[in-house]
Amino acid sequence: MADWHKILVAVDDSSLSERVLNYVGEVVGGIDKAEICLLHVYPEPPPYYFTEKHTLQEYRQEKETAARQVFDRAGKVLETHAIAGPRITTSCLMATGKTFSKTILQAQKDGGFGTVVLGKRGISKAEEFLFGSVSNAVIRESHDFTVWVVS
Amino acid sequence: MTKTLQDIPEHIAALYKAHPVSSSIRRQPRVYADTSNFSSIDYGDIIIADNRYFVVTGHTVEGRFGVDDQPKQWVPKAIDLESGVSHILKLVFHEVFSVSVGSFTIPCYRSPEKEARILELTENHPRFMKGKAVEDEAGNLVRILDIISGRRLDKHIYRYECSHEEYFATYLPPVLREYIECAKAISFLHQAGFRHGDIRRDHILVEYGTGTFRWIDFDYEFYLPERPFALDLFELGNLLMYLVARGNYHPKEILDDPMFGQKVLDTITPEDQSLLSRNRVVNLRKLFPYIPEAMNNIFMHFSQGAGVWYDTVDELVADVEQVAAAL
Repeated sequence: MADWHKILVAVDDSSLSERVLNYVGEVVGGIDKAEICLLHVYPEPPPYYFTEKHTLQEYRQEKETAARQVFDRAGKVLETHAIAGPRITTSCLMATGKTFSKTILQAQKDGGFGTVVLGKRGISKAEEFLFGSVSNAVIRESHDFTVWVVS
Repeated sequence: MTKTLQDIPEHIAALYKAHPVSSSIRRQPRVYADTSNFSSIDYGDIIIADNRYFVVTGHTVEGRFGVDDQPKQWVPKAIDLESGVSHILKLVFHEVFSVSVGSFTIPCYRSPEKEARILELTENHPRFMKGKAVEDEAGNLVRILDIISGRRLDKHIYRYECSHEEYFATYLPPVLREYIECAKAISFLHQAGFRHGDIRRDHILVEYGTGTFRWIDFDYEFYLPERPFALDLFELGNLLMYLVARGNYHPKEILDDPMFGQKVLDTITPEDQSLLSRNRVVNLRKLFPYIPEAMNNIFMHFSQGAGVWYDTVDELVADVEQVAAAL
């Protein structure tokens, strides 16, 4: 069984992420052994990106710069719950050749996280069919770890 | 720089002069080894690709949307001057646009690279058009496609002048068997990481003679990172319903059809309609009561009332195979 105190929190620049972080802060803020990894996943560039003479390196730099801002804001939210310093790590990954959900699942496995925390937007059936639901996909594939879904 | 007849081998120029096209144009043909500026390539011009010389005999048109059909300048029809064989050439056109699916807009683009890779992948697969992708002088991926001698699938199923009930009982079973093979071919693409990208009823041609259904035109690509195959899957469902119903049914078609009219329309609820295609009725058993329930259940996976839907083409195929076997 993976360590529940090792918590992987998927974040982006949405207000839902702030809600997720406040939830995590409220729940584990007082638990010293809780370790939090903030994970930001971004998609592969759409293929037309390259036809416009851009490079993959440019794309990664752009996304990693955006991720640093996401992590800075997330860190500030967690600080308000007395979570700071070495208890927080970050990871920024491109979903290379796989979906967001599979990238999150891979990060969980690689890092041995016992808890994964995700936000869930209220989406319609049609949206879920076409665009997918990352949280539903992670829940469906979750074995021997816990998933918290914050909506 | 555009070349002229003087820049090509003498025996090719002689073949060109002997070809009927040369006598029907009143200007010097241009010879293109670089197809970047495809919009300037016209009837009677020559395209050099794969060390072959193709004389342009026309352009294909967008096939489904009626009187406003526009010629596709990047898809000339051409004849290989040496072999005399007709081909369709697809030239590089990096178009980015949006497609509407129900109330959603999805970014879509034309990818010659993707089509070239699928042509290579499906070289020996009987369910796909055949062709070869080569680079022109400027590095553009020119796809030299073999012409399929066949009929569009929608025209194929309208050949049978009979009632729907007779069509359903007599003609649909072999159509479904071919559909299943085509759906399996799409699964083959998905397993290799590719999408068809533009599944629709006029992108299957039914070969004369053999009756084999074959996919054409796979240069569309779209961007759905979490559900990369959802649109293909949805369109395969739409195609299946189209084949079974021999048409698409929205409230207008139901009202216009004397077999149905207001009485049938009144029975249609939002749950009977498509999850994504606005107002399209997918609960076809309400229109055609002889459709078996198991078959109708497949359609209902694509309805607004669906509690579950297909995640993969293989799941869809497994269900269609079952109901087709029982017809």
